[in-house]
Order: sequence, then C-alpha cells, then structure tokens
Amino acid sequence: MSSTEHLHRSRFRASFADPEQLLHAVAHLRAAGHRVLDAYTPFPVHGMDEAMGLRPSRLPRACLAFAALGLALAAGLQIWTSAVDYPLITGGKPLLAIPAFIPVAFELTVLLAGLGVVASFFLVARMRPRLHIPDLHPGANDDRFILAAELAADVQFPAVAGELAALGALDASLLVEDRFQRHGSFWDRPAGVGALLLACLPAFLLLLLVPLLNRDFQRRNLAWDGGMGAPLSAQAYDASGVLPGGKVLQAPPPDTLSRRGEPPLAFGPGKAEAERAGRELQNPYQPTQARFNRGKLVFDRVCATCHGREGDNNGSVIVARGAFAPTLLVSPVVRDMPDGRIFHVATFGGPTKMKGYGDLLSREDRWQVVLYIRELQKAAKPMVAPAQATGAQP
Amino acid sequence: MAHDADVLTASGIPAAEAERYGHNLPLIDGNKGYHQVTEEVFAPTEQRPPLRWWLALAVTLSMLTLGAWAVVQTLTRGIGTWGLNRTVGWAFDITNFVFWVGIGHAGTLISAILFLFRQRWRTSINRAAEAMTLFAVMCAGTFPIIHMGRPWLAFWATPYPNTRGSLWVNFKSPLLWDVVAISTYFIISLTFWYIGLIPDLATQRDRAKTKLKRTILSIFSLGWNGSNRTWSRYETVYMLLAGLSTPLVVSVHTIVSMDFATSVIPGWHATIFPPYFVVGAVFSGFAMVLTLMIIARSVMGLEEYITTRHLEAMTKVVLATGMIVGMAYATEFFTAWYSGNPYERYVFLNRALGPYQWAYWTMVGCNVLSPQFFWFRKVRTTPWMIFILTIFVNIGMWFERFVIIVTSLHRDYLPSSWAMYRPTFIEVAILIGSFGLFFTLFLVFTRVLPMIAASEVKGVLKHVEH
Repeated sequence: MSSTEHLHRSRFRASFADPEQLLHAVAHLRAAGHRVLDAYTPFPVHGMDEAMGLRPSRLPRACLAFAALGLALAAGLQIWTSAVDYPLITGGKPLLAIPAFIPVAFELTVLLAGLGVVASFFLVARMRPRLHIPDLHPGANDDRFILAAELAADVQFPAVAGELAALGALDASLLVEDRFQRHGSFWDRPAGVGALLLACLPAFLLLLLVPLLNRDFQRRNLAWDGGMGAPLSAQAYDASGVLPGGKVLQAPPPDTLSRRGEPPLAFGPGKAEAERAGRELQNPYQPTQARFNRGKLVFDRVCATCHGREGDNNGSVIVARGAFAPTLLVSPVVRDMPDGRIFHVATFGGPTKMKGYGDLLSREDRWQVVLYIRELQKAAKPMVAPAQATGAQP
Repeated sequence: MAHDADVLTASGIPAAEAERYGHNLPLIDGNKGYHQVTEEVFAPTEQRPPLRWWLALAVTLSMLTLGAWAVVQTLTRGIGTWGLNRTVGWAFDITNFVFWVGIGHAGTLISAILFLFRQRWRTSINRAAEAMTLFAVMCAGTFPIIHMGRPWLAFWATPYPNTRGSLWVNFKSPLLWDVVAISTYFIISLTFWYIGLIPDLATQRDRAKTKLKRTILSIFSLGWNGSNRTWSRYETVYMLLAGLSTPLVVSVHTIVSMDFATSVIPGWHATIFPPYFVVGAVFSGFAMVLTLMIIARSVMGLEEYITTRHLEAMTKVVLATGMIVGMAYATEFFTAWYSGNPYERYVFLNRALGPYQWAYWTMVGCNVLSPQFFWFRKVRTTPWMIFILTIFVNIGMWFERFVIIVTSLHRDYLPSSWAMYRPTFIEVAILIGSFGLFFTLFLVFTRVLPMIAASEVKGVLKHVEH
C-alpha cells in the first residue's frame, strides 16, 4: 500500500442535496476514469448499485445455507429424540411421525435462515458497535447524498471539484483522514472473529458431550429446583398440622371392611383342622337385623364375586369366565355343614381353589357372613343334584 | 436527455408510466424536505415529553401494577385463584394469549407482506406496527407461562439435554409447536424490527447531545454510515427477512389454531381453523394498529405522515378480513350441520342460543356488523369514526376467542361434567395488566425511538400514490 500522504492527495468526497445529482455524478466520475469508492445516502438510492458497478449481494446463498442447516437440525433433533433416544408412544402416533414434525422443522428453518443471514450481513458488512465513525460528513444519515472517490492517475483534484460543482455538488474536498484503511484491534478483523469462534468450539463440543457421557440416570445430579425433585411427603404416623386429630393416619370411613387383627385363632389350615372347627366352634352371634345387614354387605362385596349374590353361582365372575364353578353355597352339602366348618373355610380357604379371607375380614364379619349364608340357604329353593334336576325339568 | 422516458420515480416506476395511470398523490403530505423529515421524526425523542404523555403513562403504569399484583397472587396462591374448573380448563388465559398473538400479526403483515407487495404507503406505519407486534407478543407470551402454575419451570418446554434419564419434549404435541412458533416469531420480528431501525439509530446517534445517549446509540447502530455498499446488502437482507416473515406469520396463527383443531373437542376439531384464525388475527391486528395510530398521530402531531389515505387503506383491510371472518362463522355452522355429528351440532346451537349467547352475539355484532360501516368513504376517512369502530372490532375479536374456547369446553360430552365459567377478579386484573404492559411499552417507545421509519419515509417523499 502507498503511504498515507499519497492517499490524502488522491481520495476525495463530495455531497449533493438530491439523489439524482449523485447518480449523475457517480456515472460521470466513472466515465472519466476515476474510481468511485462508495456513496453515503440517508436511504437506498435505486440505480446506485448499477452506477457504482456493484455486483448483486451473495447473501441469499448464505440464507439458503442457513435454512438448510435449520431444516437438517430440526429434522435430526426431532427424529433422534422422538424415535431413537426417547421412543414414547403418544396418542397412538408412530414414533417417526414426519407430518407432526413439519411445524417445528419449518419454524427452525425460518429461525436459522433469518438469524443466519443477519449474522452473515453483519460479518460481511463489518457492522459492529463502533464508538467513533471516522470522518463522517455532517449531513450524512440526514439530507446529504455523498460520494467518495479516488482520482484517476495524473488528474488534479481542483479540476474534478469544478466538474462536481457543475453537477450540483454542495461541497467537495480531499479526505483528511483515510477511512478505508483498516485500523482497529485484532478482534475487529474477520480473522479475529474467526479465531474467537474457533476458540469457543472446544467448549461447545464439550457441552454437547456432557449428556452423552453421563448416562447414569439413577444418580441424582444437580438439583435444578426444590419442587418436583424432592416433594413433601407425609409418613403414616407423623403428626399433621392440617388433618383432623392432628395425625396423618386417619380412621377409615364407615362401612370400610376391617383388616384389624384379633386374638389368634386356635386353628390352623387343612382338612383335619376344618373338621375339628366344625365340631368345636359355635357361632357366637345370634341372627339380628343389624347382623343380617352387615353380613349381606360383606357377602355382597367379597363373597358374591365368585359365589353369586344368592349363593347360587348366578353372576359369578369366574363361572362367566369359564374357569371353574365354586361350591354352591345353597347346595345340600353346605347346608349340612356345621357353622364352624364354614367359618374355617372363610378364614383359611377351601380345600381346592378358594383363598382364605382371615387376613381381610374381621372375625366378627366372618361369623356374620356365616349367619347370612344360612339365611340365603333358607330363602333358596330346596335343591336336588344337578343331574336329577335337569332330568326333572319338562 | 436521451433516456428521459427511463427516468424512475423513487419507487422504481418509470415517471412516464406513473403519469399515465394518474399516480399523482404524494404519500406524505406537506411537501417536506429530507432535513425536515429528520427534524420532525426525531423531535419526540429529543424533547421532554408533554404533560399528557406523563398522564397517559400514569394510567398505563397503574394498569400494569394491578396486573403485576394479580400475577403475584396467581404465583403465590396458585391457579386456584382463577375461575377455571375441571371442565373449563382454558378460559381467560388462553383467550388473552390468542388475542394478543393475533394483534401482533398486523405488524408483520404491514412490515413484511405489504413490503413484498410493494405497498409503499406502509413506510409511515411499519415501525410503530412492528413495535406493536413485539409488545403484543410479549403480552401474549406471559399468559401460557403463568398458566403453567410454576413458570420458573417454563424451560422444561425446551428440548435441552438433561440428567433426568432419556427425557425429551414431545415434538408431536401442538402445544410444543406453539412454543417453538411463538419464540421464533418473537425473535424474527425483533430482528426484522432492529434491522429496520439501524439507519434511524445512526441518525439519532449523529444528533445525540449527551455522551451516554451517543454511546448507547453507537453500540446499537453498529457503525452505520449510510454506505451504499452496506445499503445494497441491507436491502437484500431486508427482502429476505420479509420473505421469511411472510410464511412465518401465517404459520404462527396456524399453529395457534392447531392447539385447538388437533383436539377432539366439538367446536375446535375443524379444518377451517388455520385460515379462520390467520384472517381473524389480521382483522384484529389492523383494528389495533388503527386504534393506536389514530391516537398517536393526533397526540404526536404526525397527521402529515400518517394521512387519512393510510387510515383508509387500513380500513379496507379491516372490511375485507371482517367479511372473511363473518364467512367463517357461517361456515362453522354449516359444517356442524352437514357433519351430522350431534355433539358438533349441539355445540354450535349452544353457542348461539345457550348460556353464553350474549358473548356470541357480542362477537357477531362487533366483528361482522361494525366493519360494514367501512363501505362508506366518509367513515373510512373520518378518524374518530374509525376509532370507535376499531374499538368495537377489538372487543369483538377478544370475544371471538372467548366464545371459541369457553363455549366449546363448558358442555363436555358427559352432561355430568357440564359447568359454567366466570372469571375471578384476579383474571380480569391480569387482562387489564396486559393492556397496561402493552400501552406502557408503546408510550415509552414513542419517546425513545423514532416512531416513523425516517430513512424509509425519505425514500418515498417524491413518490406518488399507486
């Protein structure tokens, strides 16, 4: 590059009040062999690019590239998260639901294209915060249309200034300071910006690796919040400030079937014990309306599921499912069983399939169920063996 | 000169052709020079605000404070402070959200779509309309976030690598599309607005009197010096952003409508929703731009920049979109009847004749009937009449979203779930607060930044009406 002394003598500027005059002046200077460096206008003057001989900007290509990047990122992110890393079926939709990915893909395409082209623009037009604009014309960005140019070889400035004045220039002067020479820190240059980005790259890559390396999801990591991670929970025997009685554990509501333990029963499971229970145990309760009601409630909730509400297997779930038929409670066999034997079955379960309900029903409830079964047997029609019954029907 | 016939006007139309079509009305009144435009546009940013500005700010700040109080109540006491119930789980919050997003759409339409259509009259209003877009989207964004109940966890809606196991957001959910669409819309609108502002920020920087102001403006004007090499790239970028924003603005309200349309709620599950919502958004947005501009031009003395011709052009948009919206209402009823689906039919009969019929008929009256006055040129060119009618349109479009959301929800499939919704004072206060936020930001904007895009207006000073 030549010395600054030389530049001062060859570079000049002129300002006009009208964009048309500026266009003519630029065309005139170029025709005369001068080099027009730039024009400075308060708004884009149409035809100036052609007058200055500028090529169309290549920024649309940057825009397209960023759009493609956005589309690829959006597609990759959605496909990988939804179909590979976290294959959660929602609403019966396929994991790789391309139509459902279109909206986000479109938005991210637009986002990256827009931000990318603006960033490219700032980069190529060297737009960045500047506290001082060198040699700004006082009318720039207001009402003056200014050109900056370099004199052709062996032409003197005063001659050109005269021509410009004839074209309507309001002022014309040699540039007192070279505004085209790059001066500024390292970070002002494209190489500096590139170096800065490169310096950040390892950190970005490391950030990307963190979730991939740390895959022990059982281990608690950084707690982001105190809410969902550690919910407040009450233990059964804790004191409570809000619940009645000041305790967390509350008495069950009425008609709940009790699971409370009673003193141990002097019988164990098995056929021999069942027969002993039949001999030794008596129903300690007499039938009353209240006991009938309680017995019916327990029977309907617990026993009727398999035995039917009338004890006749009618409506039995397991019969309906074709599993097997439970013992008919209204049959002569059960009718003839002693109370203690039925109580033993209710407690420890039957000889074949039935489970015992000693752990679910209170002793009193089991005896009341026995009372209720007796009432069912009284209400039922006298029964005969099934084979005979079929034959007796007309 | 030999090529006289090729002389272009500032808009790029050959002068001879402009003459032939009788394009002889200037876009800006007052026969202004470039410097006069600079002085007039930047004056409000350089003078002390008048008393009425302070009074207006006091009112809007009070509204904002009320809203802030209500938001604090919501956050500390929970969503139970709202009138929602298990049947009507979306009501005021989502109504306000859709309303404000819709308001925003006019700004983008004016800045991007009218730019692509070379409607040069947009230059006087695009800066303020874009600012309105940003403020409206800010208001809109607050509602889904406070509706979350625990807004400090709002970042859970973003797909970020986390340590909670293999866990990602559901990209098949319209609510997530919504998050992405609204965020993209805000970011791109902000970028577009900022790019448009840079030349004016440079002018403001050159005129700054104090060092602080000059420093701040130097940072944001990015060393702008009006270079034609930069202008050339700037125009390319501006055109590209306009091209990107145009499908973006359509996609945003389309996706908002999909929040509803992809559900199975009768009254929501309709393919008409995307166009219906987009047109509704343009309709309400233009009404809001008119409301704001009529106040601003008279308060700030900008009648020569925002002329009655600008107002008239916008009222025509309001009239056209208002009739499309009316058509959509009728189409919804036809579709409900034609579907043969008893739930669908019931919802629409219930809308017009049920317990919320007052809201429905308010909506029809404001949105379908009130724009019809714009058939009269006298109405289209009389600011106070436009002002009253656009207020009606704003009310009507708010009620449109309320009707769509609440009447569709309050009659569930199961009659045992039927319920009514009424807002609590907290919800009303948040709505008032959002208006407070919107107008506060707008008032501050008119005093801090040039409300008219001076660099664009200078470009059309010698331009005549198409």
